[in-house]
Amino acid sequence: MSTQQVDSQERRRERLEDILVVDVDVHLHESAAEMAEYCDMPWRKSLEVIATLPERYLDTPGFSPGVDGIWAPFPGGHDATRVVHTPQQMVEELEEIEVDIGILFPDHLLKMAALPQVDYAVALMKAYNAWMIDRWCSREKTLKGCLVAAHQDPLAAAREIERYAKEPGIVGLYLPTAAVMPLWGNRIYDPIYQAAQDADLPVLLHSVAMIHPNFPHNTHHFETEMGQHTIGHGFSIMANLVSMVTTGVPVRFPDLRIAFTEAGVAWVPYIMHRLDKEYIERRREVPYLDHRPSHYVKKFFFATQPVEEPENPQDLVTLIQLYGGEETTMFASDWPHHDFDHPRKVYQLPFSQEARRKIMGENALRFFKIDSKGSRINI
Amino acid sequence: MTNHLREHIIASTADFPEGTHRVVELNGRKIGVFNIQGNFYALPSLCPHQLGPLCSGKVSGTLISNQETDWQLRWDHEGEIVTCPWHGLEFHILTGQCLAFSEIRLRSYKVWVEDGLIKIRF
Repeated sequence: MSTQQVDSQERRRERLEDILVVDVDVHLHESAAEMAEYCDMPWRKSLEVIATLPERYLDTPGFSPGVDGIWAPFPGGHDATRVVHTPQQMVEELEEIEVDIGILFPDHLLKMAALPQVDYAVALMKAYNAWMIDRWCSREKTLKGCLVAAHQDPLAAAREIERYAKEPGIVGLYLPTAAVMPLWGNRIYDPIYQAAQDADLPVLLHSVAMIHPNFPHNTHHFETEMGQHTIGHGFSIMANLVSMVTTGVPVRFPDLRIAFTEAGVAWVPYIMHRLDKEYIERRREVPYLDHRPSHYVKKFFFATQPVEEPENPQDLVTLIQLYGGEETTMFASDWPHHDFDHPRKVYQLPFSQEARRKIMGENALRFFKIDSKGSRINI
Repeated sequence: MTNHLREHIIASTADFPEGTHRVVELNGRKIGVFNIQGNFYALPSLCPHQLGPLCSGKVSGTLISNQETDWQLRWDHEGEIVTCPWHGLEFHILTGQCLAFSEIRLRSYKVWVEDGLIKIRF
């Protein structure tokens, strides 16, 4: 038996539980009652009212608004309303699925961009950030937080980033993407990107399935939840990615690390090639781009969930390689949401062992600038 | 190699005013000739993108934007940019440089004026 064969046999023995798994998208559950405690007046009064309402899953007036509750229910089915109430519960549940470090996103505030009242959105942003740091990130070292940024007031969001720039539990910035208007490439958001770049904190765009006039595509046309959910996240993320590239965000902020979550990854080669095609004809609309658009797309990071599951897993490996994704793809489960991915689904893809380790954890360490214990290395 | 180069007469300067350009066919080759402020330039009229008739496109300026312009759009290179009529790929006539792709630069032909005639060698 050659040395090479022995090596490959030894290497094959590495198992999911042996390697570092960083999960770049897990959801804590923020209740209106808890938010109220951390919220400035007069909006604390609003949250106290919301706390008295019967809670519906990510469908609460004034808290997670949208046109929801439109589907006729049937008994049975799978558990689509799982939530995680405490950091202890989260740590235990992530351990069960072999996740070592989890990056926290909200539940209700996935719909935050749909809130029309600017001052309320700012108050909610501040309450959520303060609560998350106090109750979650500062208590469990392996749970790291993303500050939410209220697009409704970019300057207030920038101040929030400056305030928590050195917070050990904070590793990034969550940009609510569903219903955001204008899209995240607009220059009114430059103060957010400047503050994030100065703080050395990456930004992560995260959408959610919803129907809203601002949503970039016609999700209200679907007669099934499947239709709506098939393209909701993906189209929202694609619209914002295209917006950011075509307004030159990665050129104006060359050191800003940018990631797109909860949209899968198979579309990345498509949008990259679409942008390159358009660039041939319309370069002078985007003269700040020094390279073809795919150059910038390849610098973005992408979270895997909802990971595509082609019949031939090699197809997905190829799609990821087409955008240089072995260096920029990060595992995400979306735990505890109904469409979560177990890490083994990504772990089983026929990548080299080196690429697998990168995608399951090492790329995320580089993206968030944390070590394998979850400590920030940039403060 | 030099032995194979031949001189060709394109036109008299009197017939080729400033700010105009035309495509001439010489030895079966289509060449774009440009008069920019009294200086003559020549490029192959063949776009490397999809082999479109590059030099029959419009000559104009273009937009630039960078840190120096504070990321604002600025009109620049007036009269120095030719745009392929097929898909809009732009080239800087003076250098043959493609604006979209730094790795693409067209060859440029030697053009000069002699006894009131515009001549080209290739």
